[in-house]
Amino acid sequence: MTVEEQSRLYALVQNPPKDSKIEAAKRFGTDLTLTLRNLALTPDQRVKEMEGALRFVEDLQRAARRTKQ
Amino acid sequence: MIDFEAALKALADAGVNFIIVGGYAAAAHGSAQITKDLDICYERSTENQTRLAASLIALHARLRDVPEGLPFVLDRQAIAQGMNFTLTTDVGDIDVFGELPGVGQFADLARDAVAMELYGSTFRVASLGALIQSKRAVGRPKDLNALSELEALQELDTHRKSNKKS
Repeated sequence: MTVEEQSRLYALVQNPPKDSKIEAAKRFGTDLTLTLRNLALTPDQRVKEMEGALRFVEDLQRAARRTKQ
Repeated sequence: MIDFEAALKALADAGVNFIIVGGYAAAAHGSAQITKDLDICYERSTENQTRLAASLIALHARLRDVPEGLPFVLDRQAIAQGMNFTLTTDVGDIDVFGELPGVGQFADLARDAVAMELYGSTFRVASLGALIQSKRAVGRPKDLNALSELEALQELDTHRKSNKKS
């Protein structure tokens, strides 16, 4: 995705059209800045980022369980 | 933690005809949600059921969330008699769907599935539209959460494409 495309989509997320799905998602509490960041990546990079986040969450959960014991 | 790459490659190496669905497919499209399992929709032909059974047996797949010791053999016949299975394997949890709620079977998904390059191989991934339909049909609270992001993603995608055209 080009920088211009990214800027256009960022502006759209900042000021979504009324009654749009983007506006609805923001109202729902979805952080679309994370989604926008992903759109700048390739599908392969996206799933690898997700795997990294999952690894982090599972490490954190393991650490929390150890602390409780 | 699930090894997505190993799971996908095991299915592909066995020649299973499948389409990636669920949270992993959403992540490949750009969703920021995290998923802990791999969901696939498999084609229901006898040959493909045989290939799917072989690959799942090689991964020591067993039914998830059932009492330990429940007699169950995951072979082609079991796949033919069943439809959707939630499994635990040596590489992590894999859910295999013969039919996806709100969307249909493999052929319905294949119509607008997207080819994506993942881990150096090409895999078929369900379209955003199909993922949205499926989330709407299931309608659990966690699906509704994912749904709002997927619908926004689809809208962003439409804007992106229309800007490219103009």
